[in-house]
Amino acid sequence: MTTLARSEYRVVVVGAGILGLYTAVHLARAGAGPILVVDRGFLSSGASGRNGGGVRQQWETRATVRLARESVEAYRRFGVEFGYNVWFRQSGYVFLAETEAELARLRAVHDLVRSEGLPSEVLGPDRVAALVPGIAPDASVGGTYLGSDGTLYPFPAVWGVYEAARALGVEVALGVEAVGVDAPGGHVAAVATSAGRVATPVVVNAAGGWSAEFSRQAGLSVANVATRHEILATEPMKPFLDPMVVRPSDGLYFSQTMRGELVGGVTVPHPAGTAAGMPSSPAFLTTMARALVRLLPRLSSLGVLRAWSGFYDDTPDGLPVIGEDPRLKGFVHGNGFGGHGFMLAPAATRRVARAALGEPIDLDPAAFSPARFLAPTRPPAAERLLLG
Amino acid sequence: MAGPPERHVLFDRSPRNVRPGETLLAALARTGWPALQRSIRYHRPRGPYCGVGHCTGCLVRVNGRPNVRACRFEPADGDAVTTENSWPSPRFDVLGVLDYLFPGGIDTLHGFRRPVWATRAYHRVVRRLAGYGAAPDPAAAVVPSLPPLRRTVDVAIVGAGVAGRALAAALAGAGRPVVVIDRALHPPAVPWADLLPRTTVTFLPPPSPGGDARFTLLGFEEPGRGVEVRAGTVVVATGGYDAPLWFGGSDRPGVLTAEGAFALLAPDGGAPFERAVVVGGGERVGEVLERCGDAVAAIVAPNDVAPSVVRRASELDIPLYPRSLVLSTAGRSRVRSVALRTRGQGPRFSLGCDAVVLAHRRLPTPQLFFQAGARMEWRGGAGAYYPWLADSGETSVPSLFALGETAGFLPEGGADAAGRVAAAILGRPLPEGAPPPRVASDGLPEVDGYYRELAAEPRSGRWVACPCEDVLLEEVEAAHRAGYRGIEVIKRYTGLGTGLCQGRYCLPDTLLLLARLEARPPPEVGYITQRPPVVPTPLGAFATLAETAGEAGAP
Repeated sequence: MTTLARSEYRVVVVGAGILGLYTAVHLARAGAGPILVVDRGFLSSGASGRNGGGVRQQWETRATVRLARESVEAYRRFGVEFGYNVWFRQSGYVFLAETEAELARLRAVHDLVRSEGLPSEVLGPDRVAALVPGIAPDASVGGTYLGSDGTLYPFPAVWGVYEAARALGVEVALGVEAVGVDAPGGHVAAVATSAGRVATPVVVNAAGGWSAEFSRQAGLSVANVATRHEILATEPMKPFLDPMVVRPSDGLYFSQTMRGELVGGVTVPHPAGTAAGMPSSPAFLTTMARALVRLLPRLSSLGVLRAWSGFYDDTPDGLPVIGEDPRLKGFVHGNGFGGHGFMLAPAATRRVARAALGEPIDLDPAAFSPARFLAPTRPPAAERLLLG
Repeated sequence: MAGPPERHVLFDRSPRNVRPGETLLAALARTGWPALQRSIRYHRPRGPYCGVGHCTGCLVRVNGRPNVRACRFEPADGDAVTTENSWPSPRFDVLGVLDYLFPGGIDTLHGFRRPVWATRAYHRVVRRLAGYGAAPDPAAAVVPSLPPLRRTVDVAIVGAGVAGRALAAALAGAGRPVVVIDRALHPPAVPWADLLPRTTVTFLPPPSPGGDARFTLLGFEEPGRGVEVRAGTVVVATGGYDAPLWFGGSDRPGVLTAEGAFALLAPDGGAPFERAVVVGGGERVGEVLERCGDAVAAIVAPNDVAPSVVRRASELDIPLYPRSLVLSTAGRSRVRSVALRTRGQGPRFSLGCDAVVLAHRRLPTPQLFFQAGARMEWRGGAGAYYPWLADSGETSVPSLFALGETAGFLPEGGADAAGRVAAAILGRPLPEGAPPPRVASDGLPEVDGYYRELAAEPRSGRWVACPCEDVLLEEVEAAHRAGYRGIEVIKRYTGLGTGLCQGRYCLPDTLLLLARLEARPPPEVGYITQRPPVVPTPLGAFATLAETAGEAGAP
């Protein structure tokens, strides 16, 4: 049974994934005072240990492009800053279009990305074939490419922020579940955990797929929905594919990792919520296999080594929720990142930490504020360039 | 004698003959020790090890398809086989120098971070070292695009071993048709049953409780045909496998499990080794003596030796070394000798040999139980997880039964267990009396005490904890010292157990090691997650199942 070192903290962060731990690092560096991070699982048991490692800056919304660009810079420096090599390999993302209509949509993304100063390119089928060796001749009408997008190995990033947080004096309690919030007078006063009640004026909800559950335990209804997404890895091969290859029309994405495995997923709908756990499904394995073999027929004899799944923390408009909840003083959201929390974490958590300290943040409140879901009319879908 | 003709294949451009019913590995072993692979990270010489298609010791490229296991591959006439992951050859590989350059291992977690401008160069070099074979040749149509094989049956039995066959016979005798699925290339016939050989299946998804939910088993028939079996009742009788053992240089070619040794034997018992040291003291050693006793030079037992083995060894004039620690092996690209110490601070000695055959311990194959969501329990006496079982042999998942070695039944209780499962499936009353005995649920396996004593010995040579990914034992210990706890985290931290065998040959011993380091019982150190599929399954096989699989598994 874990016992906590203190009975009172300046900030309690719920969730020891990349978002929670990175937030804790920012808080500790800002000299916030005693910080506790709790997680009901083990390190990297959630989406931080289950994602495909993609880091891209090609998005439909300007605010996301900016967070992504800042995160790319952070991941480039991660090894020097945190002592762990995340093998962030900037070999680009190829977005594939199967139809002219999809290509037109990608061109719009390309225009936005270029207007942010990133050298995105529009690709013809020839360039696509050069970047994706062995692609079926009729597989695409073209696409877009940004060479500074890339992939990383997620686990060392978790170890890096975990050790940095601990070195800065943050207490990380694993196997400890946050189960509720005491908020007399609409102000956070304490967090109830499986290891006892701790007093704190601020709690950060960085619980990923379980964030909606924790918000509800604090008495807050939220728009977040956990959805299960699946992923597989093949046997390792010598390198043949440099970029991450994605296809928005069916959510297909895959890349060849530093270890040589092909890792990727495709959209297969599952009932919402975390209750069913994280199994793999026949629909995913067969749909993904068919998509890969049709796109790259040479892969037909390649073995699927393992498959697993994890939760996206989705919001109705496809944008994360960052900031203090207007209904409960001291309850700060750092969640709703869909399937791209890992890639946006360095930049996004900087803002989450500032919000936790009551400082102003430089993000468009209409886009990221928790208040946007409280208005009578919900915001329309904004970021729809989602994968997996 | 008339019969199917020999097949002619090209092995690294030189012609070889393969006899009917012979695997490529056995054919190569007829003319000497087969050197086929180098290890993934340090390019250490590796040889055939497991003999059952899980390890990385006999991977070859066939007609442009990478990572084909020679021990499970029966070539067709004209097949072109090449070795992979070595240059110019597996016997002499230039990159083998990595093993000497990095005696403490290559630290990819902390290394290669500075200077930042060199990142791209690091990535290029390190990435080239990853993987075994190159990607499949674009031109090679290596997986036949056969229509998938689909079966909807009343009862499916996975495993055509003694237990599975006994049950199939009992059910068939009562008029219940069964499908029997087995990985073996040539499993013995199962009378009155529909036998699917060369077939490996995975449970997807875990069945929903109650109702008439059917189990869905997805898989493939080698080399690449999709298989989907739906069954109302599933009996898992997948048996077990010979366990690994850690010592210095335990990954050296020539060190292999009993199953690995059997995979190298010619039908007449001819072996590509002459002076094997067999490790173990129980029944499994007896089987090794039975099949290739002429090639055994000594028996080294970690603990005591069973009287039957003592008797047989004395008949064959084979020296016995009971209660011995295996410390390390010596040799370059083949084991030449093995260093030992009698337990209890006894003398150190060494034995010359050309193979070390591991026959000291068996482990169950519980993958399907995990995937079906069955409740598992730790059985300390065997040092492994087994399904929780009702008296009928039914697991916590209704209509999912377990039988034989993978269920933990002792051999003497096997027939009783099969009778009970048959009765349960046929709706007949269970036999009177206590259920048949299973492996002990408490304590720790003998190998745990062995490892505790071994831990006090100075180490020599490389201690490779996970041969598939070349993870060193020191790296596991370093992860523990850095504060990481639990087998799931250690696995993610070190990469151990994430290779081609998916942890079969490293996680069971790692669990015992971590239990010792963390000073808590193995079940608290964690489960060993068994992710689907059970063995690497060609994308092409799954792809052919896509058309109707969307609803598979729904009631």
